[in-house]
Amino acid sequence: MNDYEPKIVAFCCEYCAYTAADTAGSARMEYPSTVRIIHLLSTGKVDTLHLLRAFEKGVDAAFVAG
Amino acid sequence: MIVAERKPYEEIKEMLSGYKNILIVGCGTCVSVCMSGGEKEVGILASELRMSSKTDGKDWEIEEATIERQCDREYIEPLKDKVEKADVILSMGCGVGVQFISEVFPAKIVLPALNTEFYGATISEGVWAERCGGCGNCILHLTGGICPVARCSKSLFNGPCGGSNKGKCEINPEVDCAWQLIYDRLKALGQLDKLKEIIPPRNWSSSRDGGPRKIIREDLKL
Repeated sequence: MNDYEPKIVAFCCEYCAYTAADTAGSARMEYPSTVRIIHLLSTGKVDTLHLLRAFEKGVDAAFVAG
Repeated sequence: MIVAERKPYEEIKEMLSGYKNILIVGCGTCVSVCMSGGEKEVGILASELRMSSKTDGKDWEIEEATIERQCDREYIEPLKDKVEKADVILSMGCGVGVQFISEVFPAKIVLPALNTEFYGATISEGVWAERCGGCGNCILHLTGGICPVARCSKSLFNGPCGGSNKGKCEINPEVDCAWQLIYDRLKALGQLDKLKEIIPPRNWSSSRDGGPRKIIREDLKL
């Protein structure tokens, strides 16, 4: 299990969390390649169906940041 | 609207055991409004079942469809192609929808995904409450617009009973006494004199006591 790297989908608000991710990138900070970011205009747009579909497609966790 | 709730997930899963091709049919009317059987709820249930299929090794093939109404033949018939491919139909409509889909497609098994509860109104977000008993002989004009059939626990026509306590019903302190509501409303309307009229015992044959009901409008028949 030490090699276990969870697949995580991150639903990020364009105006806050994604800006933070962008800034982190500019500062050459890294995050695991198993994290996939999906931009949203707002995390208010996140719907139960988006989360369920993500799990259906095999993610281990969903991260909602906004 | 007709208010319904989704059945417990385990009960739905149990009903579906032994089938492979499952068509989930939502209804775009009442149960969409009370958020139990509309397009979104169909999507959620389908997603849950697809995940269960993988984790439990069920080999389910889930198809989704939501139609405008499950209580009108013209909306059900276009499902024909999807229905032909399905072993079973899981209706997310009210009890009317479940039965009417099976009347339109008599060769198919139609299962209920919801428990149909009552005719009600949206009190606030996520809160629905019963307002009508569908008894077939409305007396709201006599009771200040508040229905004692649906809202009095005993369906009393001349209330309140001795179980009314500070405006609440003896069955549950969270349930309003319908006859207290009727009194308050008639008082506010200046119509308290209506309470002096004793409402006679009624003929319940217009309600379920008369057996299954049917309306025929000759002027509308083709």
